[in-house]
Amino acid sequence: MNYILPGPSLLDKLAFIVLASAVLGFGLLTVTRKSAVTALMALIGACCALAGLYATLSAHFLAVLQVLVYAGAIMVLFIFAVMIVNRDDEQPIALRGLFLRAAGVLGAGYFFYRLAWIVVRERRADVLATSITLPIPEYGNVASIGRLLFSDFLFPFEAISLLLLVAVVAGVLVARPPRPTPSGDRERVA
Amino acid sequence: MPGYLYILVSLALFFIGMTGVLLRRNALFVLMSVELQLGAGSLALLAFARGLGDQKGHVVAFFVMALAAAEAAVGLAIVVSVYRARKKIDLDGVNQLRN
Repeated sequence: MNYILPGPSLLDKLAFIVLASAVLGFGLLTVTRKSAVTALMALIGACCALAGLYATLSAHFLAVLQVLVYAGAIMVLFIFAVMIVNRDDEQPIALRGLFLRAAGVLGAGYFFYRLAWIVVRERRADVLATSITLPIPEYGNVASIGRLLFSDFLFPFEAISLLLLVAVVAGVLVARPPRPTPSGDRERVA
Repeated sequence: MPGYLYILVSLALFFIGMTGVLLRRNALFVLMSVELQLGAGSLALLAFARGLGDQKGHVVAFFVMALAAAEAAVGLAIVVSVYRARKKIDLDGVNQLRN
């Protein structure tokens, strides 16, 4: 049973254009800025705009999570890391092996160009064209995603909670400052 | 909006992130670019999920988000640890994790 919504309205188009250009613009800023703090703020902007794009795909739960987890939790981690290690690097772009890296970027650019060409060519395909019909009215909300998580994906869900626990312990262990030993010199643990 | 536009945005964002990973030498910027790439992947997952009318893509994007959190925690811990040992975080100079 399909719930037909009216096609993309002017507001839909406007929202998509604004959000997509915000994502790409903030992404470019993130990659090109010299100061880590500026890049971080641009990354937060990119994450929020990306959450907006998720919402236009009617992935409401994921949109909220994107703001909470990325723009909230992960960015706080990044801010603390910047506070600890921030140094202005005189040479933001890697110069060693620049030729090889530039060749890699150009090759990948051609690859992505071809991929985009294929996507545009196949834009009439069902998967790439339909965004008007909602398969179920509660598509993408917390209840239906949660039902899926606790039925079909229960094992991956529990496994990922274990992975997060391991990652937190590993983070503490790796970032811990060296402990002074009784003999006075500092011993690296882990 | 038609789904292929979302895929195009996702491709462009992934390419931007990959350029950052390849060209930047500061480890912090490399990690930020990786976050951009993960976001681009999630966007493609959600766009295809929308096109297929299936919600399993949302679940996978959820797992990607959890993995990104784990990756950021461990990656930033390594960056801080390397900075303590060497007083700089240029990836060109780092060739061993053992001190």
